[in-house]
Amino acid sequence: MSKIVILGAGISGHVAASHLRRKLDKIHEVVVVSPNSNYQWIPSNIWVGVGRMKSKDILFPLAPLYKKKGIGFKQAKVTSFFPEGDSETEKPFVMAEYVSEEKRGETEKITYDYLINATGPKLNFEATEGLNPGTNKAYSVCTYTHADHAWQGLSALIEEMKRGKEARIVIGTGHAKATCQGAAFEYILNVEQELRRQKVRDKAKITWISNEYQLGDFGMDGMLLSYGSNIMKSHEMVEMVFEDRGIEWILGSGVNKIEDGIAHYENLDGEHKNIEFDFAMLIPSFSGHGFKAFDKSNQDITEKLFKGFMLVDSDYTPKPYEEWTVQDWPETYQNPNYKNIFAPGIAFAPPHSISKPRKSPNGTEIFPAPPRTGMPSGITAKLVADNIIDSIKQQKESLDHKGSMGNMGAACIASAGFGMTKGSGISITTFPIVPDYKKYPDTMGRKLGKTFGEIGLAGHWLKLALHYAFIYKAKMRPFWYLIPE
Amino acid sequence: MTRRISNFKRFVMMNPIIQFFKFIFLSIKVLLIVAGGHGGTRETGY
Repeated sequence: MSKIVILGAGISGHVAASHLRRKLDKIHEVVVVSPNSNYQWIPSNIWVGVGRMKSKDILFPLAPLYKKKGIGFKQAKVTSFFPEGDSETEKPFVMAEYVSEEKRGETEKITYDYLINATGPKLNFEATEGLNPGTNKAYSVCTYTHADHAWQGLSALIEEMKRGKEARIVIGTGHAKATCQGAAFEYILNVEQELRRQKVRDKAKITWISNEYQLGDFGMDGMLLSYGSNIMKSHEMVEMVFEDRGIEWILGSGVNKIEDGIAHYENLDGEHKNIEFDFAMLIPSFSGHGFKAFDKSNQDITEKLFKGFMLVDSDYTPKPYEEWTVQDWPETYQNPNYKNIFAPGIAFAPPHSISKPRKSPNGTEIFPAPPRTGMPSGITAKLVADNIIDSIKQQKESLDHKGSMGNMGAACIASAGFGMTKGSGISITTFPIVPDYKKYPDTMGRKLGKTFGEIGLAGHWLKLALHYAFIYKAKMRPFWYLIPE
Repeated sequence: MTRRISNFKRFVMMNPIIQFFKFIFLSIKVLLIVAGGHGGTRETGY
């Protein structure tokens, strides 16, 4: 029998656990280790952040589901990795510390035959001085609790605006190398629509602030897309939407400090500026969790497993932007030093950014980190699970399932406002996620037919349909596996 | 110069009947792109 341990129960970890459990005999053990007691459908956080959904609508407790499905669950956080075991334990293991009420503070060696590191990112608020969700009038929508706080802050401001207050709202990225611009993009459009619904739009000045060089970069270097009968660049599409909604924008800016109602930032011209606000939602930078790894004799081997995030089958050779290729990107998400360890989703260390790196004259790097959230997280988790399943069944290493972000499509169904008749959505699909400039040299590295944008009510319906479909799938209801990642 | 959304375009974007058909079209197109497969890039002719 084999024991597969999955660290993390987000999109990536939960997808891997559910596929492993469905396809493997019960003699094999599947164990999830996560500090979170709930599964949350993160893409719907933006609706919690504008009060159009309750956090209970986007989450459910993991323990009862895992018990019913025969998946082991330990509510604990991993502190260190021992991929060779130690002097007392022959098998590889991870050291975990329980965070659940009944076992809080207890530690356990969790042994494994295969390990899936799906711990996602650490929300690195500390990297920006004063950026702490719910303080200094700055908020986040990265988790459902953050989104709840954001709605409390926004609704209080709306009440003041109803009494005549003029307000400045700033939404975007809170660090020079933050990613996940898509979430901030959705949130700014939803906030704008909520202000209109509450009839206070004329009282607010709304500003987008981002580390992107151009609007619509989204950490993917922008894209050329088909829009109806037109072909346009993503920055033209986003400019069109912002212009239509009366949203101003500040680009190429790395926020480096937050004070009460003031965001300080440096731009690509090297200027240090600030912007005042009454409410801000700023996405923090993402980082690895700072895990340590040790060999059998307790020597530190962290560099064999981690480079911030976990090392996988990427080409990490440092080289200039002009020499980057899609082949640098990983295909199997297997650690090169320990072949029974995998890191799908956000947990893997990308070989480099997708957007062109840019520096201010002061040497500050200001450009988005590459996104790996949502759909790529699910797809890479499933292929890792499938390779482990094949390896167990064939009793030899099998890596037939591959999925490079340079040969994978993604759909970003961005909400632009909630409502069955007044809602809106911006649906953008991209193929491939990492541009392949050799294969598609004339279309900015993307296949045009599969890279398109649509704006309208249908996008909102689609996003809502995906919300219900993916929660159904995550709850492992009948035929859940027929819904693709 | 920034493009503008015309009144006709806005009508199309928010008309529930037109958007219902758009919803069907979008759902199928997104499904085909997402479920349309993925693979490696290091072998020739991927």
